[in-house]
Amino acid sequence: MSVASPAERDELNRLLIRVGSNDQKAFAELYQRTSSRLFGVCVRMLRDRGEAEEVLQETYTTLWRRAAGFDASKASAITWLVALSRNKAIDRLRQRREQVLEDPSKLDEAPDERPTPAADAEISQEHRRLEHCLDELEPQQQTSVREAFFTGATYNELSTRCKVPLGTMKSWIRRALMQLRTCLDQVGVDR
Amino acid sequence: MSTAANDNDDLRYAEYVLGVLDADARAAVAREIETTSEAATAVSLWQRRLIPLAESIDEIVPAPHVWQRIRDALRLDMPARAQSHKGLWNNLPLWHWLGIGAGVVAATLLVVVFLPHLAPRPVAVSAGYMASTIQQDNGVTGWTATMDLKQARMVVVPATPVAFAEGRAPELWLIPPGEKPIAVGMIARDKPTTLALDPALLARLGPTAALAVSVEPIGGSPTGQPTGAVIAKGAISGA
Repeated sequence: MSVASPAERDELNRLLIRVGSNDQKAFAELYQRTSSRLFGVCVRMLRDRGEAEEVLQETYTTLWRRAAGFDASKASAITWLVALSRNKAIDRLRQRREQVLEDPSKLDEAPDERPTPAADAEISQEHRRLEHCLDELEPQQQTSVREAFFTGATYNELSTRCKVPLGTMKSWIRRALMQLRTCLDQVGVDR
Repeated sequence: MSTAANDNDDLRYAEYVLGVLDADARAAVAREIETTSEAATAVSLWQRRLIPLAESIDEIVPAPHVWQRIRDALRLDMPARAQSHKGLWNNLPLWHWLGIGAGVVAATLLVVVFLPHLAPRPVAVSAGYMASTIQQDNGVTGWTATMDLKQARMVVVPATPVAFAEGRAPELWLIPPGEKPIAVGMIARDKPTTLALDPALLARLGPTAALAVSVEPIGGSPTGQPTGAVIAKGAISGA
């Protein structure tokens, strides 16, 4: 499934709006079209298939209940959905973190594995712009933003993982975010 | 013109979307999103900026039971029951009759809403637990499965770690007598896996059913039926 094309994106928007009026068929179709994308995100962040399944389930039950609040003028359906699943996954990570804190060695086990870049044709224009702006950051800023995004780690965890002081990690990421905002808003942010 | 205070807020929203805030700071931003439209708009903007990065994550097809669980949790695809709820909900005389006090209404509604769901819940087995030793063809135990019927969950523990080719993983199936295998879920080859059992699965557990493990792609069988070799099987017995 590709969600990169504007036509596909509009189709998902329409489906999500129909889900907002309790259309079960639209819900089933939206699940079919988006669940592998969202499940990939959950597995990537949680690194545990069972937990990822639970978070995926939470994501879609929340989606069903909150779809009426979806506003296509603010974000596209797929952005809204991926953001929802990431939020659920991050919340889960924070709960888990309390357990991990008793055994900090577990933190270092997370392998630093980069997702393989998708083929150019599958990349949306928005993603291409973001990559372009990321490329303009200092290498360590870029690495920490990606690591943060793909692992859902806190500032504390990131500074431990990258072996830099907490303040340094915070300033890398904060400067990176402000630079990204400037860069992305220059080229325009599309839905 | 942006002020320093605005910038600080915007930075927090960016940090929220990126996912670097700790639990307390996240909860604070989540509350702001609910209560102020400025926060909600700023967070949406950051989602539009950053979420496209997720496109570089490989897609993984979830096992079919996830959708079943979502449907069960939301009680979808049950038109008869859904209608009867709506009927009650829209029943004005009932509301008048119930109009004694909010607390009473809430309590009564709980009964009204939950009663219809009590009946179809499978109460087939009262023993509480079932177990299965899932053996490989050479007689060596691959996994043991314990089913807790009350909690509707199954714990599958590997006895002998089985080797899998890269990109392949074990998937567990329930085979009721004379029926097609039903996907239970992906299991780990080297550590215990806990699986939730939906009512459809629970109802089919019994001494005449069997469990089997097949070799499937990491995301589970793409067809909903075993596509790879069946490497281990076991009968189910009361524990």
